[in-house]
Amino acid sequence: MDLKLKGKVALVTGGSRGIGAAIALELGRQGAKVAITCSSRVETAQKIAAQIEQAGSRAMVVQADVADFKKTQEVVAAVAKELGGLHALICNAGVTWDGVIWKMSEEQWDKVINTNLKGYFNYNRAAAGIFKDAKYGKIVNIASINGLRGKFAQVNYSASKGGIIAMSKALAKELGKFNVNVNVVAPGMVMTEMAAKIPEEFLNKAINETVLGRVAEPGDVADVVAFLCSDRSRHVTGEVIKVDGGQYI
Amino acid sequence: MTRVGIVGIGHGRFGRRSDATVQELAFEAFRDALADAAIDRQEIDAAVIAAVPEYHKQRSLTGVIMEYLGLNPRSAWLTEDACASGSAAVRTAWMAIRSGLHDVVAVIGAQKMTELSTPEILALMGRVGEVQWESIFGTTFPGYYAMLARRHMHDYGTTKEQLAAVAVKNHYYGARNKNAMFQKEITIQKALSSPPVASPFQVFDCCANADGAAVVIMASEERARKISDKTIWLDGLGSATTSMSLLRRPTLVSLPSAVEAARQAYKMAGVGPDDIKVADVHDCFTIAEILAYEDLGFCEHGQGGKFIEERQSYIGGKHPVNVDGGLKAKGHPIGTTGVSMTTEIVKQLRGQAGERQVEGADVGLTHNVGGNGQYCFVHVFKKE
Amino acid sequence: MFSWFGKVNFTPHTKVGRFADYLKDGHLMGSKCNSCGHTDFPPRADCPECLSGEFEYSEWSGRGKLMTYTRIDAAPTGFQDMGPYLIGLVELEEGGRLVAWFGQSIPESEIELDMDLQVVPRVFDEIEEIKVYYTLEKPGTTWKKAPA
Repeated sequence: MDLKLKGKVALVTGGSRGIGAAIALELGRQGAKVAITCSSRVETAQKIAAQIEQAGSRAMVVQADVADFKKTQEVVAAVAKELGGLHALICNAGVTWDGVIWKMSEEQWDKVINTNLKGYFNYNRAAAGIFKDAKYGKIVNIASINGLRGKFAQVNYSASKGGIIAMSKALAKELGKFNVNVNVVAPGMVMTEMAAKIPEEFLNKAINETVLGRVAEPGDVADVVAFLCSDRSRHVTGEVIKVDGGQYI
Repeated sequence: MTRVGIVGIGHGRFGRRSDATVQELAFEAFRDALADAAIDRQEIDAAVIAAVPEYHKQRSLTGVIMEYLGLNPRSAWLTEDACASGSAAVRTAWMAIRSGLHDVVAVIGAQKMTELSTPEILALMGRVGEVQWESIFGTTFPGYYAMLARRHMHDYGTTKEQLAAVAVKNHYYGARNKNAMFQKEITIQKALSSPPVASPFQVFDCCANADGAAVVIMASEERARKISDKTIWLDGLGSATTSMSLLRRPTLVSLPSAVEAARQAYKMAGVGPDDIKVADVHDCFTIAEILAYEDLGFCEHGQGGKFIEERQSYIGGKHPVNVDGGLKAKGHPIGTTGVSMTTEIVKQLRGQAGERQVEGADVGLTHNVGGNGQYCFVHVFKKE
Repeated sequence: MFSWFGKVNFTPHTKVGRFADYLKDGHLMGSKCNSCGHTDFPPRADCPECLSGEFEYSEWSGRGKLMTYTRIDAAPTGFQDMGPYLIGLVELEEGGRLVAWFGQSIPESEIELDMDLQVVPRVFDEIEEIKVYYTLEKPGTTWKKAPA
């Protein structure tokens, strides 16, 4: 289907690699102007930006710590100014720091909550103001099936992803009347750079959980995100779409 | 052409009547009217009730009033036009008598405004205007007239002091009317320092809700001449409407319904404004009395402020107006007010108004408006 | 749906219910009679001129002049949480009138009778239900705002 994203402006957090990079590239291929944020891998991000520009669309890279409230408000305003507006926000930047709770440090908890949950709040808040005034906007917050269910050794990660889901539903209610859609994509296991480091037995466990007998490619998530950034999904809001091959039904 | 006259009047005390039901209030005024006319209840052959039902717990007030007053099995019905219900009922009784269907009709104005709880009353007050396009923004009864006042002040230079002067005059006369709700005089300073209600109005620019009843007994000429030697004749009747909502009102500095009603009444009675010796007008808000001076032709358009400033509406002035205290000092039991006005003019033309008597009053007028100006009834009365 | 219109709505059932849907999308609509072309604001289904019941919605610009106003200090039920509020009566450029609250762009001290105004469609932001209204703003105020 033609998603008619040409000329639209999208901001993708954590877009230098993995799911984020796949999302940025897909939106760029669809003709959208894309801003990518990253915390440290600026060069890697710039390679993604270059690929987008090669495909014929505009891209820019901004370095920012998602957990920095003030900085993130500035980033969003700067992107809107530079690229001529903002139509879609995709929050994707996230980290894990696993451990059973009785060994989990305060810093372990804070880091994951601040990056994964507060980081999304920071960006959602900045975009909400723009979208509310412009009477148009698409927010896609990437969560995880481990926000729908609990995962062993991930009280911090599950809390952050579950929090993203509830936050997104509340946000959908606040912004609906201004023609803004807010949705969550909850991937299961995705074959990314991060996932490649997982021991094989855990990978196999995940594959066996799925009904399709495979884990996702980043592009599988990007396809659903692109649909949610388009007007073809205009009547979908407050929804959580799993992209998990049936891992958690 | 047979005339229709008023042969008996009765008026109860207006105010917060927590001592009586609406039918008990009606009985007080009815008893007095029968005594005043010196007739037996048997002589009455129909009744018209003037009341605004939505302020009462009792639904369909006519039934309970007819029962309590012992007027069954006579024909009776309610006439309602918001605050002009009283005069609407007088007009209806006039028509019933002139048609030949009835000879002696009791017009019973009875109203309670204090039976409902404060939130219920406040909710009703928000629905005075046009509810589809205006009330949704929280317009109120004072708010509407306040908007008219502001335009009048802009176009003609009418001042807040002139508005306050209307209240001062009416409280002066109310203090001399034992049936009035407010028995104390006020000063301009007191009026101008009262709390704001809807700018430019303050508390003393606004009439107060009140409970109260008044009755007039009307008769055909043939019966009237048998019953009474002090019949006062209702010779001129005018009535008109204008838009309910300000959105479609032709002018904001006059009430078109009043101008037209007055024109009709003067023509029918064969008189002009200068013939009117005493008048009771609808001063629900101070500006309303100023507009009435102008709409009735007592002064030029825009000169109403000057009229009160020069004390022309006091006894001794060009046109004494509301020398019974008006709605301002009597209080405003909305369905009853028109009937109350009628009793006052009848008293004046009979020469029975005591210290409030306008000397030589032989032609009088009532001007009764409903809602925020959408209904108006003007009646011209003659002594002979 | 008309029940969306106003802080308290008293007439949810009306032949011109779609007025509120248009307002939610930023359009101020009057009516135009299909039979004789008579236009009206507020919109009405029944033509006062030719009595026809066939009409279509027609967009008004929202430009108008202030005829009069008041500040309501004693509010009725349902409006008491708003504190004193300013209500203006506006004559619209294309004909017809409306009443509305003054918006943020005009402080009370700047209000003058006969001033030019812009009527702007609004949504009550901070409640969950959809409720729409309009405010009186300085000329040139728009419904949508682009990012700075």
